[in-house]
Amino acid sequence: MITVTDLSKDYHSETGRTYHRVLSNISFVLKPGEKIAVLGSNGAGKSTLIRLIAGVEMPTIGRIERTMSVSWPVGAAGGVAGSMTGNDNIRLICRIYNKPFKLLRDYVEDFAELGKYLAEPVITYSAGMRARLNFALSIAVDFDCYLIDEIIAVGDHRFQRRSHEELFDKRADRSLMLASHIPQIVKDYCSRALVLHRGRGKMFDDLDLAFEIYHDL
Amino acid sequence: MIATELRVFARALAVQQRVIGALFMREFMTRWGRRNLGFAWLFAEPLVFALPVIAMWSKIRAPFEHGLPMIAFVWSGYLPLLIFRHVTGNALYTVKYNAAMLYHRQVTPLDIFIGRQGLELIGNISACAVSFLLLYMLGVIDWPDNYALFLAGFFYMSWWSLAVALIIAALSERSEIVQHIWMPVSYMYMAVCGFFFMAAWLPTSLRQIALTLDPPLHAYEMIRGGLFGNRMQTFYDMSYVSWILAIFTLIGLWLMRDVRKHLVFE
Repeated sequence: MITVTDLSKDYHSETGRTYHRVLSNISFVLKPGEKIAVLGSNGAGKSTLIRLIAGVEMPTIGRIERTMSVSWPVGAAGGVAGSMTGNDNIRLICRIYNKPFKLLRDYVEDFAELGKYLAEPVITYSAGMRARLNFALSIAVDFDCYLIDEIIAVGDHRFQRRSHEELFDKRADRSLMLASHIPQIVKDYCSRALVLHRGRGKMFDDLDLAFEIYHDL
Repeated sequence: MIATELRVFARALAVQQRVIGALFMREFMTRWGRRNLGFAWLFAEPLVFALPVIAMWSKIRAPFEHGLPMIAFVWSGYLPLLIFRHVTGNALYTVKYNAAMLYHRQVTPLDIFIGRQGLELIGNISACAVSFLLLYMLGVIDWPDNYALFLAGFFYMSWWSLAVALIIAALSERSEIVQHIWMPVSYMYMAVCGFFFMAAWLPTSLRQIALTLDPPLHAYEMIRGGLFGNRMQTFYDMSYVSWILAIFTLIGLWLMRDVRKHLVFE
């Protein structure tokens, strides 16, 4: 379970004299097996919320309690190192999470379908290839809760189908927080939606209503 | 109660060991990878710096100064200086450059620092060893008179470099002013650190001030005392530098603790 209580996050402006409140007073509970979407326009704070839940950044106010293992934010940036090859990134993740190299390497090879590109630096990958590598690594490490920031939308149709298979058919008991603004993907994955607007967050059990509100913002 | 706490601590220690190892390898692969010389760059890089400078000095100065062999004296001044300059210079924004690694919650800013600065230190120490052997084989430097003291000097020089680097690393994430002033400061450091002089050459009053304010001077005295033996008088106080460096290290660790707050993530 992840319990978020009265969460607020400020960022200082460039001059340092003022600050922006990106998230304000957000509370919710993510139960084991539950799959929640985070909706919001660009800059609404979706990625910030995901990073806070992952523990990458610290909240300005409020608490986040985690009683299950939580993935890193699986997104376009972070988690993997661009200057290293795909294989070296697999080794890095193995060392950090104490997993056998062969297990992860086999899984990533099969899932991400990067073939000979695994021997090339990640910086040379396309956005879709990077998404596949990052996603495959997080699935291979095996967490109770996955934090996924937009990247399913980046992948091609085949990747989307296989991600769905991994997160639903094989891992139905895991939790998920998915930041996205693509209705089809959200409806495929999630049962509830947290809509972010001007720092405030509101949870909807009805996804259609959530999208209606989101589009009217 | 204490047993459980010890177990938790042991587990945390194991995680940190793994993480530092992973970051160490990452830094290694990123900097030198598998291209051309590969890991040999680890000590070749500082050597490319050191050898021409030593060659130049030995040409323009007299072979003996204050009764000390010139090349050996320059070696014992310049190589420790490189340790300091490389370890501290590399510490600017060390956490920011590796912020992508902080996506993994087990990785702390301090782990990143240890991985990166640790590798830099090892590289520079290896360069010291390789250049020493090279000069020894050329017959221009003698085997140290007192190994223990010689190595203690390098130990204190390394500790001093890491302690300052820790403070620089933590402060550079807070204010970019640090970056602007560090280059000139580390340049001026060259004049006062003990590269060019021995404490014995200073007037008594100045010597006391220098030994109080200048921790690396103690390290230089130990290195040269170990290298040259009783050919000249040396001044150092191990317990004093140990205290000073322990305080520096604590300040650095304290500053590093909440560096995460000052980072901006992609």
